[in-house]
Amino acid sequence: MSATAASARKLVRGGTAITALALLALAGVYVLALGFTPIEARQGPAQKIFYLHVPAAWSALLAFSLVGLCGGLYLWLNDRRLDRFAASSAEVGVAFGVVMLTTGPIWAKPIWGTWWTWDARLTLTLFLFFLFVGYLALRAALHDPSERARFSAVVGVLGLLLVPFIHLSVYLFRTLHPQPIVLKPSAPSLPPVMLRTLLISVLVFVLLYVGLVTTRYGLALAEEEREGRLDAA
Amino acid sequence: MPPDNAGYMVAAYVITAVILVGYAARLWWKAGWAIGKEKRER
Repeated sequence: MSATAASARKLVRGGTAITALALLALAGVYVLALGFTPIEARQGPAQKIFYLHVPAAWSALLAFSLVGLCGGLYLWLNDRRLDRFAASSAEVGVAFGVVMLTTGPIWAKPIWGTWWTWDARLTLTLFLFFLFVGYLALRAALHDPSERARFSAVVGVLGLLLVPFIHLSVYLFRTLHPQPIVLKPSAPSLPPVMLRTLLISVLVFVLLYVGLVTTRYGLALAEEEREGRLDAA
Repeated sequence: MPPDNAGYMVAAYVITAVILVGYAARLWWKAGWAIGKEKRER
């Protein structure tokens, strides 16, 4: 077995173990959020969607930011590992994006009275999601590895530019979306017991991100090694 | 008295689990398939 194939297997195994651990921890977050975190007085049980929606949104933004960062570094250093990592992070970011964009409307319906509204935060987030779906479609459409890496790196960098606008959109525009209650200059405006559940959930989502990206990276490496072997044959 | 909207909460928790477990399972299946194929080709 070649050294690349051995590394790919090792990464897939490590990533699988981390993902399995993170999914178990996510089950623990469900128990903590549903059983041991109080129901918010005004919003009722639907407020508990917050413990999944916010970590999913932060993880998706982290994933998309790293795609842009690695894309920029790839254009500078021309290192294939950066491209592989960016592609893996984009795919996992889209998965978290699906969670964010389904749990958000499910929370909005009972609280706002509507599933969706075209306000700045929601619209920009939807654009960012579509941009990274386009990023994955672009990668699937291009067969030359270096062309694929260069073109998708540019799209990734453009996506990164949207991220600060999304965070600041609640300050820059009139929006229905709640203002930040944790990532803001002053102290978090959340009771300690709710903040604890939120932060644990964020840690679990980040662990899940690490596990999924590691597995996806190993898989990409295995596929590249196989293509290289077949080309050489 | 908080509003009774537990159905929305349950839906969000179920959908999140389905998406994340489903994506992880798809990755594991693809990885198993890729490694199995590599073995068969050797």
